[in-house]
Amino acid sequence: MSLPPGRLALEGVSFAAGGRALVQDASLEVAPGEMVGLLGSNGAGKSTLLRTIYRINRPIAGRVLVDGEDAWSQSAAWVAQRVGAVLQDMPADFPLTVEEVVAMGRSAHKRLLEPDSTHDHALIDAAIALLELESFRARPFRTLSGGERQRVLLARAMVQQPRILVLDEPTNHLDIRYQLSLLRFVREIGVTIIAALHDLNLAAMFCDRLCVLDGGRVVATGRPDDVLTAERVSEVWGAEMIVQRHPTSGKVWLLPA
Amino acid sequence: MRAVADPPAQETSPEDRQRAELLAILRSPPPSSVAAPRPPPVALPAGAPTSAGARRGRHLLALAGMTSLVVVAGLAGLMIGSVHIPAGTAGAIFLHWISGGVLFEPTWREAYEIIVVQTRVPRVILAAVVGGSLGVCGMVIQAIVRNPLAGPSILGVSSGAATGAVVVMRFGLVTLGAFTLHIAAFLGGLATLTIVFWIARTGGRMTPTRLVLAGVAMSAVLSAFTSLLVLTSPDPQLAARVLFWTLGGFGGAQWKLLPIPVAALALGLAVMLVQARRLNLLMAGDESAVALGLNVEAHRRAMFVLTAALTGITVAVAGVIGFVGLIMPHIVRLMVGADHRHALPAVALLGAAFTIAADLVARSIIAPLELPVGIVTALVGGPFFIWLLRRDARSLAGAP
Repeated sequence: MSLPPGRLALEGVSFAAGGRALVQDASLEVAPGEMVGLLGSNGAGKSTLLRTIYRINRPIAGRVLVDGEDAWSQSAAWVAQRVGAVLQDMPADFPLTVEEVVAMGRSAHKRLLEPDSTHDHALIDAAIALLELESFRARPFRTLSGGERQRVLLARAMVQQPRILVLDEPTNHLDIRYQLSLLRFVREIGVTIIAALHDLNLAAMFCDRLCVLDGGRVVATGRPDDVLTAERVSEVWGAEMIVQRHPTSGKVWLLPA
Repeated sequence: MRAVADPPAQETSPEDRQRAELLAILRSPPPSSVAAPRPPPVALPAGAPTSAGARRGRHLLALAGMTSLVVVAGLAGLMIGSVHIPAGTAGAIFLHWISGGVLFEPTWREAYEIIVVQTRVPRVILAAVVGGSLGVCGMVIQAIVRNPLAGPSILGVSSGAATGAVVVMRFGLVTLGAFTLHIAAFLGGLATLTIVFWIARTGGRMTPTRLVLAGVAMSAVLSAFTSLLVLTSPDPQLAARVLFWTLGGFGGAQWKLLPIPVAALALGLAVMLVQARRLNLLMAGDESAVALGLNVEAHRRAMFVLTAALTGITVAVAGVIGFVGLIMPHIVRLMVGADHRHALPAVALLGAAFTIAADLVARSIIAPLELPVGIVTALVGGPFFIWLLRRDARSLAGAP
């Protein structure tokens, strides 16, 4: 008996700030259990679009549907019970320990004054063990390196038990070993994932489908083979690449031309 | 590192099995929502400190230690003064009185009982309640403006309350009876709260920065206004009285004054404890807090009004006492951690003990005269704060 993955749908989502349209009419469906990579150059609107899902940026048009319900007409707690987000970093002004930061993930599931249950402790212990954080457990969060923080924030999102996981540049700060282990881990847990990624090869390797943003608009959605063509990479990123096949997996593999 | 594209490994090493079990736990629904038996406990890697019990023991120990500090400081507060009363007698009088005459037969001089019950008990209680209120207010304000260097006075309410009191002193308004000064101070604080709230909300979002800036700006304007009132006053004594008020003290303690601050602290602390889990989320930053399910705006607004009102009441009964609300939360976080569920009761107790002790120093060091207690708290708290800043900067610079 395990929690089922959720269904995410963006329907014509637009967002503007300071009079500038940052995302325009973005539509995308992510099926239960699917992982979709959000690609695009810097400033293409990837993070901005992700923030409409976890209720930071309220869309000026369009809808964000979580399991068929409009996320913006539900409460923050309702969304947090279903959508977990791994943000790029967290301010660390207070001496919170790693364990306390991870335990925060349970908040949306707790009533006021409800103490932590054995289930909560089991989840926290499991997430800490899986993300290899045992030795940091009692350390202050602010003394960790960028990569270690990233793993703590992923552990926090895991104990939130989301049906949909939003990852914003999850491999930032991570060395290649942890990049691979993080992406492998999130695929293993059986959750629906939408992730903003910079590394096109890792995106092709781990994602079921890719969605490319350019200037705040969706310019392509589809399987990695269909999306990552030399022409599109040149068009969107202004970089000339050679399209190859990965020697063992057969997936798209891009090399600088 | 196994690449994801490899065919699934068929051999199940103990490590793989454990990993699979941990993954199953992560995706298991809470036991209440299904009738399924709880997953069996998984053996965690050796050395895993699953010590929830030990941690609870440590918190209780810290709370017990702080409670005894309050008792010791309180007893000293009953003993020491113009007439010295031995500890045994002071304690016996207190217990005799609080038990309604059941405990201890009076063998002491009646004058002792009058001094203890009529003068020193209300004074100690007032100091404890004000110190406890400043402690919890400081801790909550630091969380809502996400700045550990903030204190209750940063919201501008203290200055507003002081201004209210000064207006009454300056123009000799005593229309509201014996408590005119206190009522005026509270109204001044309330008016400032409203204005700061209104400034900080302009544009729809009440961010920590806007809140701090609005509070600081209002404080500056109000202090200038207070100074103006004092300097243009025909009464040469006014400056000294105002100075005393703005540095705080418990010289005005009497039984009639106690019910409101006591009730306010009890109510305020209860609400804060109910909200403790949410206050924790604020420490993680607004974006994290939203992603973790908190309605940040509404929560920050509610906590701002609560702490500002509680601060206003403390200033109304005891003047502006600095550093208690700034320093106590730091000491408590060092001792029991930053989790508000444990830190809030602890900071209430430590703030109470510290303020009782500070008042004791203030009234005995140049007896029979009294120092404003704010001078004592600043002289003790200021250097400690500087030490804390330097230590913090060093430990962060040394972080990997």
